[in-house]
Amino acid sequence: MNLFGLLQVSGSALAAERLRAEVVTTNLANSESTHTPEGGPYRRKLAVFESRTESPFQLLMAGTGSAMSGGDAGGGVRVSQVVEDQTPAIRKYEPGHPDADAAGYVEYPDINPVQEVVDLMGAQRAYELNASALSAAKQMIQQSIQILR
Amino acid sequence: MSLIETPMIHNLTRALDLASLRQRVVSQNIANIDTPGYQTRDIDFAGEFRKALSGDEADAGSEAVAVRTLRGLEQRPDGNNVSIDRESLLMAQNQLQFQTGVVVLRSEFNRLQLAISGGTNS
Repeated sequence: MNLFGLLQVSGSALAAERLRAEVVTTNLANSESTHTPEGGPYRRKLAVFESRTESPFQLLMAGTGSAMSGGDAGGGVRVSQVVEDQTPAIRKYEPGHPDADAAGYVEYPDINPVQEVVDLMGAQRAYELNASALSAAKQMIQQSIQILR
Repeated sequence: MSLIETPMIHNLTRALDLASLRQRVVSQNIANIDTPGYQTRDIDFAGEFRKALSGDEADAGSEAVAVRTLRGLEQRPDGNNVSIDRESLLMAQNQLQFQTGVVVLRSEFNRLQLAISGGTNS
């Protein structure tokens, strides 16, 4: 465990929040997509977060290197998977549409823009919070370098 | 304890170690602010520091600091109980604690330097 490990913890959170924001903006961009390579309309995607623990190697290094080992202080966060929302698609009657079925209905993804924008704001705020944690860690590292001078 | 490593330096090193560990735990809490089911963790800074001060040198090095899961915080519906305010406050406090440690440590080194150079301060 050292100060540089702090950067990894906050960095993993920045990456995860960025991915979440990407997933949300993809949802917003595809809110009218009726056609996907997999077939059928676009399905709303969700990023699932998972807390990471330190690897056994890191714990071993923490135990030998520093005077104090930190138990399971944790190793940040990651997006474990991106799942698809299984909400059924919205059916609209548009017989002229190229993706219309035999009865003339087109399936549109069930995406609520308000919900997505709120999620995007959450991701943005969490990103900012982690960025400030990162700069705090950076400041601490710089201060400890000051001891050498 | 060697000639150079005064008790003060020894204790300050412990304090800095604990502060950096606590910063890590706080960072971990902030990183998991959106993880469902995550529970806030913390270390007992004062308690651990007291333990480090009282313990003799031999077994102090092997002692692991206990990272505990905190209870009694308000929990969100997704089972996560990280409070932004608590963590931001702790981060600021911890950072200042670390800075204090660094400044005092530097002044202690300067005093040693002064003793080595015989008061000429060069």
